[in-house]
Amino acid sequence: MEKYKISDSQLVSLYKNGNEEAFEQLLTRHKSRVFTTIYLIVKDNYVAEDLLQETFVKVVRTIKEGRYNEEGKFLPWLMRIAHNMAIDYFRKEKRYPTIIMEDGSHVFTTLEFSEDSIESKQVRQDTHAKLRELIQELPESQKEVLMMRHYMEMSFQEIAENTGVSINTALGRMRYALINLRKKMKQFNIAYDQNIYPK
Amino acid sequence: MTKTFTQNDVIRYVYHETSAKETKEIEKALLCDAKLEEIYKEVLSMKADLNKAKKVPSDKVINSILNYSKSLNLPSNK
Repeated sequence: MEKYKISDSQLVSLYKNGNEEAFEQLLTRHKSRVFTTIYLIVKDNYVAEDLLQETFVKVVRTIKEGRYNEEGKFLPWLMRIAHNMAIDYFRKEKRYPTIIMEDGSHVFTTLEFSEDSIESKQVRQDTHAKLRELIQELPESQKEVLMMRHYMEMSFQEIAENTGVSINTALGRMRYALINLRKKMKQFNIAYDQNIYPK
Repeated sequence: MTKTFTQNDVIRYVYHETSAKETKEIEKALLCDAKLEEIYKEVLSMKADLNKAKKVPSDKVINSILNYSKSLNLPSNK
């Protein structure tokens, strides 16, 4: 977990007192984590952006209406809203979305890769997009644990409680997820290099 | 004597879920167990890749959220 000078809880307090900059900091701090979690469930960039917006609208309303529970932690609460939004989307749609390939053109525009060549930027974007695609292809139980631990920052204990398995099972699923991804990324990188630099 | 650790222990270590005592023991074991060290490096590298693969939402949607927040003036229970 990243360490910040001002905690989420302090920012929420400031926001409750009308400090909009505190909310901006909270949003900046967590936007990628929330967006990635939603995206990995719905697999569609536009739907993910809509749901990201709905998630934060709920956050804003709950805090401004004074209904935010001070005892809970902000991040798990935020991630729970995002996760539920994405799952509800499935239920409403009653379908599993088709996989949409990304062109990656605007995804990384806010990141700074100023010293990189266009080619290395493209390689990096392709690699990241491929990794997200591979996460979506993982068996559901592995994908669930990986998302919960890595992007939602739940502990293995919390994951075990939420998914009704032992900690060892949760850890085992995480291990297989990481091993599978590593193996597939290695294969992808070899194939990618051969495509870009044919012998 | 160095304690034996499993791959699951390494994952807990990488995700900062080991106790202070376990952390010290794992770090000691990593120095003398090449296989464990290899697993550690693989998991660490995968963790870094997963971080880099995070998606960034567009500025448009972020601005829209910020504007919504600014426009909403509700009485809060301070």
